[in-house]
Amino acid sequence: MKRIEVFRDQLKSIAIKEPGEYLVILKEAGAEVDIRGAFKIDQKNKIEVSVVIHHQAPNTRANTTLRGVAGDSAHISLKGKIIIDHACGNSNSFLTERVLLLSNQAHAECVPDLEIHTDDVKCSHAASITRIPEAHLFYLMSRGLSRSEAEKLIVEGFLS
Amino acid sequence: MARFASKKTSKFETEDVYEHGYSYPTSGYAHISRPGLSEAVVKEISHLKGEPEWMLKKRLEAFKIFTAKSMPTWGADLSEINFDKIHYYLRATNKQEKTWEEVPAEVKETFERLGIPEAEREMLAGVKAQYDSEVVYGSLKEVFAKQGVIFLSMDDGLREYPDLVKEYFSKIIPAGDNKFAALNTATWSGGSFVYVPKGVQVKLPLQTYFRINAENAGQFERTLIIVDEGASAHYVEACTAPTFSTGSLHSAVVEIYVKKGARCQYTTVQNWYKNVYNLVTKRALVEEEGEMIWVDFNMGSKVTMKYPSFVLAGRGARGETLSMALAGAGQHQDTGSKAIHLAPHTSSSIISKSISKGGGRTSYRGLINIGPNAKNSKNTVICDALLLDGNSRSDTYPVERIYNSEVAVQHEATVSKIGEDQLFYLMSRGITEEDASKMIVNGFIDELVRKLPLEYAVEMNRLIDHEMEGSIG
Repeated sequence: MKRIEVFRDQLKSIAIKEPGEYLVILKEAGAEVDIRGAFKIDQKNKIEVSVVIHHQAPNTRANTTLRGVAGDSAHISLKGKIIIDHACGNSNSFLTERVLLLSNQAHAECVPDLEIHTDDVKCSHAASITRIPEAHLFYLMSRGLSRSEAEKLIVEGFLS
Repeated sequence: MARFASKKTSKFETEDVYEHGYSYPTSGYAHISRPGLSEAVVKEISHLKGEPEWMLKKRLEAFKIFTAKSMPTWGADLSEINFDKIHYYLRATNKQEKTWEEVPAEVKETFERLGIPEAEREMLAGVKAQYDSEVVYGSLKEVFAKQGVIFLSMDDGLREYPDLVKEYFSKIIPAGDNKFAALNTATWSGGSFVYVPKGVQVKLPLQTYFRINAENAGQFERTLIIVDEGASAHYVEACTAPTFSTGSLHSAVVEIYVKKGARCQYTTVQNWYKNVYNLVTKRALVEEEGEMIWVDFNMGSKVTMKYPSFVLAGRGARGETLSMALAGAGQHQDTGSKAIHLAPHTSSSIISKSISKGGGRTSYRGLINIGPNAKNSKNTVICDALLLDGNSRSDTYPVERIYNSEVAVQHEATVSKIGEDQLFYLMSRGITEEDASKMIVNGFIDELVRKLPLEYAVEMNRLIDHEMEGSIG
C-alpha cells in the first residue's frame, strides 16, 4: 500500500498512474488534495485500483476522480473510500468513479464507500458504468470518421 | 445560527413514556419454550404445530446449518446477542380467532391501544395480528376471499395448502443463505401466507401487525407471498415491542414471487423498542414484466440489518426500493438493498434516505449485479444521508458489479447536515429554528413518505417530529 500524507495548508495534486492500493491522509488543518487516476485496459487484463482518502483534521478538502475504460474481456475494479474522523468539521470531500465498457465481455466493479463520523461536512460520491452512447458515435461517424476512429476519440476525451 | 435567534425548544410532555411500552405478564401463556435452542426445541415446535414430515426435516437441516455457520462480522455489532437466553417459541393463546371479540382480553387491549381494529374497519382488505410467536387474529374482506385471494397465517397456510407451500417454501431464500435465514427456517412460527390468483387486483392493503410482548423473546415469522400473473397486491407490516432491559431478537424471512406482469408492493413500518435486534432477510423473484416495490421504514430497534432484494429474472422486470432509516442514541441501522439483474431490459432504482442523530449510526449497504444476459438494463441508486450532530455517523457501502456493456448504471450519494443557509432562509421568515429544522427533515424524506398509505404518511411525519423534539442545541 502506498501512503501519502498531506500537512497543514498544503495543496497537493496526486496522479495515480499504476493500479494498486493508495492511502491518502489529510493530517493537518487546511490540507487540500486533488487525486486523479485514469486507466485503459484491454485483452484479458485485470486491474484493481483502491484509494482511501482519510480526513484526520478539520478544514480539509479532497477531490478524487477515477476513470477507467475496459475493452475485450478485461476486468476493471475501482474502489474508493472516504473516511472523515470525528471532530473534523468544515471538510469537503468528493469521489467520482466513471467506467466506460467497450465490449460485452468486459467486466467492471465500482465500490465508492463513505464513512462519516461528524456532521459539519459536505461529502458525496458518484459512480457510473456505461458504454459509449450510440448517439455520440453516430455524431462523429456522420462527419466521416469510421466507427473505430470515433470510439478512439471518445475514449481519449473520456480519459483526458 | 442559534446565536442570534431566540431559542425555543419544545419538549414532548410524555418524553419518558414510550407509547408502545406497556406489556402484559406472560403467566397466562399457553406455551413457552425453555430458553436456548437445541434439536429438541426445534422438534418441539414442529410437534406442537403438528407439521408434515418434510417440514420437520427442513427445520432440522436448517438447525444444523445454523450451528455450523459463524456470526457475520461484516456489518453491525452482533456480539451481544445471547442465543441461549432467548425463548424461541411463545404461544399466548391456543387458537387464531376470526372475530375481534374472541381474542383474549390482554392481547386485545394491546392491539386496541395500537389502533388496529379501527384501521381495519376503515382502510384495509385484510388483517393479521401476530403476538409473540403466533398469529392471534385474522380476517379478510369477503370481496377478496370470493375472488380466491388467500390470506392466512403461515401455519394455517401450511395446513390448508401444503402443496402450494411445499412448492415455494424456502426456494428463493434457502436455509443456507445466511445464519439468520437458517435460524428462521429452523424455528419459524407465524407470519403471513398470501396468494393472489391470476388477474386479481387487491386494491386495499393487506396488513399484518407484529408485536413482541415477552422479555427475551425471539420472533421468527415467515412470510410467503405469491402474486400470480397479472395480479397485484400491497402488503403492509408494522412492528412494535415493549420496553425491557434485555433485548429480544426478531429474525424474519420474507419470500415473494411476482409472476408475469404482476405487481407487488411490500411496505414495512418498523418501530421496535430500542433493544431489539432486527435481522431480516427479504427477497423477491420477479418474472417477465413484473414489478416489485419495497418500501422500508426503519425507526426503532437497537440493530437492524436488512437488505430487501429483488432478482429480476424475466425480460422487462422492474424493481424499486425506497428505504428510510432513522438512528438515534445507541442505534445502528444497517440497511440497503440488492438488485440482481439477470434478464434483458430490466430496470431498478434504489432510493435510500437516512438520518443520524444523538450518536446514532446509519449505514447503506447495497449490491447491484448486472449479469451477462441483462442487456439494456438500467439501474439508479441514490443515497442521501443527513447528520444532525457531530457525534453521529453515516456510512455508505455500495458495490456495483457489471458483466456486460449495454447498461446504464449510476450511483450517487451525499452526506450533509442541515444547511445554515437553509435555516437562515426559513428563520428570516419568522419560523423558529426548531420548526425550520423539522420542516427540512420532513422535506428530506418527503418523496418516500408520499409512497405510504395516507394514514401512515401522517403518522410518519408525526413520529419524525417527535424524534426531532428538543434536538436543537
